[in-house]
Amino acid sequence: MAKASTARAKPSLLKRLYPKAKTDLEIFLLLYIPLIVITVAFIVPLLTIIPEAAKADYKGLLSNVYYLELDKYSVNRFVVVNKLPNEIRVTINGFDFGVIGNSIINAAIVTIIAAILGSSLALLIGIYRFRGRRVFSVLAYIPLLIAPFVNAYVVKVVFAPSLSPQGNTLSYLLNHLFEPLLGKKLIIAFDKQAGVALAQILMFYPIIYINTLAALGAVDATLVEQALNLGARGLKLLRRIVLPLVVPGILAGSTLVFILSLEDVGAPLVFNYDKMISYQVYQFFQSAAAGDRATIAALSLILLTAAAIPLVFIRRYLSLRYYARLARGAPRPFQGIRLGKAGYLVAYLVFLPIVVAAATPQIGVIILSLSKRWVGPLPDLLPAHNLLANFHAIVSDPGLRRAITNSLTYLGEAIIFVAILGFMTGYAIARARLPGAGLLDILASLPLAVPGLVVAFSYFVFFSKYSLYGFFDPFLNPGHVLVLAYIIRKMPFTVRSVFTSVIQTPEELEEAARSLGARRARVIRRIVLPLVWYGIVAGLLLSSIYILSEVSVSVTIGALKGGPIANPSTHAAPITYAIAEIFTLPSVTGGTQPQARAAALAALLMITEIAVIAIASRLARRGQALITL
Amino acid sequence: MGFIQVEDVVKRFGRTLALRGVSLSIEKGELFAILGPSGCGKTTLLRIIAGFEVPDSGRIMFEGRDVTELPPDKRGTVMVFQNWALWPHMTVYENIAFGLRLRKLPREEIDRRVKWVLDLLGLRGMEKRYPGQLSGGQQQRVALARALVVQPRVLLLDEPLSNLDAKLRLRLRGELRKLQRKLGITMIYVTHDQEEAMSLADRIAVMRNGVVEEVGSPEQLYSNPSKLFTAMFLGRTTLVLGKVVDTEDRTAVIQLGEIQVKAINHGLGKGDTAALVVKAEGATTRQPHSPGDYTVLRGTVSVSMYIGSFIEVRLAIPGLEKDILLDLPSDEKEPPIGSELEVYVPLRNMHAYPAEEEIVKEALEQA
Repeated sequence: MAKASTARAKPSLLKRLYPKAKTDLEIFLLLYIPLIVITVAFIVPLLTIIPEAAKADYKGLLSNVYYLELDKYSVNRFVVVNKLPNEIRVTINGFDFGVIGNSIINAAIVTIIAAILGSSLALLIGIYRFRGRRVFSVLAYIPLLIAPFVNAYVVKVVFAPSLSPQGNTLSYLLNHLFEPLLGKKLIIAFDKQAGVALAQILMFYPIIYINTLAALGAVDATLVEQALNLGARGLKLLRRIVLPLVVPGILAGSTLVFILSLEDVGAPLVFNYDKMISYQVYQFFQSAAAGDRATIAALSLILLTAAAIPLVFIRRYLSLRYYARLARGAPRPFQGIRLGKAGYLVAYLVFLPIVVAAATPQIGVIILSLSKRWVGPLPDLLPAHNLLANFHAIVSDPGLRRAITNSLTYLGEAIIFVAILGFMTGYAIARARLPGAGLLDILASLPLAVPGLVVAFSYFVFFSKYSLYGFFDPFLNPGHVLVLAYIIRKMPFTVRSVFTSVIQTPEELEEAARSLGARRARVIRRIVLPLVWYGIVAGLLLSSIYILSEVSVSVTIGALKGGPIANPSTHAAPITYAIAEIFTLPSVTGGTQPQARAAALAALLMITEIAVIAIASRLARRGQALITL
Repeated sequence: MGFIQVEDVVKRFGRTLALRGVSLSIEKGELFAILGPSGCGKTTLLRIIAGFEVPDSGRIMFEGRDVTELPPDKRGTVMVFQNWALWPHMTVYENIAFGLRLRKLPREEIDRRVKWVLDLLGLRGMEKRYPGQLSGGQQQRVALARALVVQPRVLLLDEPLSNLDAKLRLRLRGELRKLQRKLGITMIYVTHDQEEAMSLADRIAVMRNGVVEEVGSPEQLYSNPSKLFTAMFLGRTTLVLGKVVDTEDRTAVIQLGEIQVKAINHGLGKGDTAALVVKAEGATTRQPHSPGDYTVLRGTVSVSMYIGSFIEVRLAIPGLEKDILLDLPSDEKEPPIGSELEVYVPLRNMHAYPAEEEIVKEALEQA
């Protein structure tokens, strides 16, 4: 019987599509417009890196120990211990495998440690009930607030070598305990690669925590209860039953951490550690793109390749459908079992210090924003009557005011396109059964996985060639390029939210209207939009905060017309570049330290983030999965 | 040519062939049921008629006009969904008025028509409520009202009663039947519930595995099914295999394990393997008045259960792998398990067909 139909020749693609296009034009536009826009505005520029990178001298690059060094000198200064008469100095420097080796190996180490910390903390908080659990979970969320550069600066004053005789904040605090005990001071400091890694681990581990927690929330309680019922307890329960169920969440989070570590500019910049790809790309733009373009192209391509490799393995966990399943959660999530005595010890002795340490940078940002300076172990708080002096300073600085205006203008322009394209994309992926829908599904999430620095560099190359003196000329109109980058890079948050809301709305609701005689445009206006608007708004709010706090493109393309300090009245830089520029200033000058002003800017950013996330997660009724990166 | 004509429709989803060449002809004003087990393609067929899917090949004709590629909003068919698909953000009134507003009718006309349909379905007073504030039965009626109010050319119903509890389902079934007679609307009704199909429909198409097995009136299909699958699917039945030892004009004598029985013959010859379908009802242990209309099954009782309106018995026939299900009248004595029993089964409930391998295999696996 099956043969009867295979004998019939399948009509050509065009022939099959034409009648559909004639009768349901809307779905064609909804699908193919975003598909074309993403291809032209993202994929094509990205590909221009390849011919540019082909000009590089790879033999020279890879044999140059500055770029790649794999020998005993790479690790011989990993830990340096200096024993002085009344103090022991332990400095952890990490390794130096050259620019390329450092970026990749550092990202791998950061990812592994963050994965172990993040997933075990998620299991602790997600599976067990214990006193203080809420405190743990609130602390664990704090590092998700983005305070670019400033958080790394706080890590630096707390953990890095200090000029102060009392050492950094960590050593200062520990020596209240050690000095009476040992009769000597113990000065522990993280520097260079180790410092960068520490800052990144503290910054990124919550991403894995939150992805794992979301995966855990999608595990139905009966699965765990059945295992408990059969006698599985403790580690066995975790290892055999729970862990396998949340592995996808851990993998998805880990991939993102790997990519974020690769492209992170903040920690290398603040630790002044230039032997990383991200720092090199940043420097290229600082010198008004006058450096060795072919080498930067080659480094960008290496960054892109390194980011793409793990992605290939976990592609399906980055798909919208997987995300939507997480966002929906289990019909009845597991409520938790009581933690035993040993569990309490582990929770309070191992995990509490970690979550406190990881929350330190963000808390430190707030403290710094209220301080004159923080260069020694302790911050020098502003007098109470003038506590908000740094915030006043921002408002009265024309360069910084301009940066804030720039950011808000870019946001306003970008968000209109994000709303339109994001809705089209999310709806089309959920509903269109046409060739190309699967491709759009992949392309829509891809920008999350491409390092922002690579996007910045590719836009620079592409537009300085094809839009010279034009609308997108990166030197004349860096703002236009920034808006485009923001649209492409931050649209996925809206797409996900729209997609999730649309597939949670039964398709029959639309079909019922169709069968009563409504065209799709009308169905969208009367049925779809009224039912999914909260998902669209939640997505737009998220896209907005990620646009405001975007770093990679902002500090590269955004720097091409100078910054608030160099060029206060004409610069095109957004807030994040203003912060970055301040961090290149010497940290101690007379009066208030400039970094404190940057901290005030970052604090404003963080407050906005908290407010927006609170509103968005209320709208989408599912906080965790929403902010899953 | 029928009012609605389905011509040799084939539809494939990925690797699965949902419809393998389906043809049907549906008359104006009839209530036509499409009946089949889940996954047989009945909903796909309905969605193709509605225009939600386009067939890979074949045509759909409405009154002689090819509508195969016409979108759902241009067909004049209206669908009532299994989950009713009421719009949660609109009131009952707005739900019902939606289709009328699309047709740009004057406001008074819309009001008049909505009132008419509210009265028709006993929904007066519910206008301002939202779907979430209605009971299941009321929601079902609103879904029906929303479809009826636009006076569609064809009403398509996809298991519209399956989400209701048994009692309500029976009541609404009766109402639906009355309504259809009163309004004379052509309806295509998809269901997996044979009782629903038989009680409602003028004609039924029985579907299996992407093909239409048989089309006929409920009585025709039930009392004299011409296909093995139809016979097996309608009613409480048992399918067993036997060998034809003799044929008379309409009947065949079949060797069933160690016994011989008579059955109505549907195209078997001497020596053929027969797929014998035994309907459970009508069996009795009492000597009937006209023994010529009966055949006798002899075996051991393996299960015996008092159900209330009847006694369910499973009879193990020596040499036969599968037990035969029979319903005895409840006023007869409940036979003890393990006892030998002789049961008279009316000949009209014994049908023998050539053993179609696929169906037989499926049936035997299910048991």
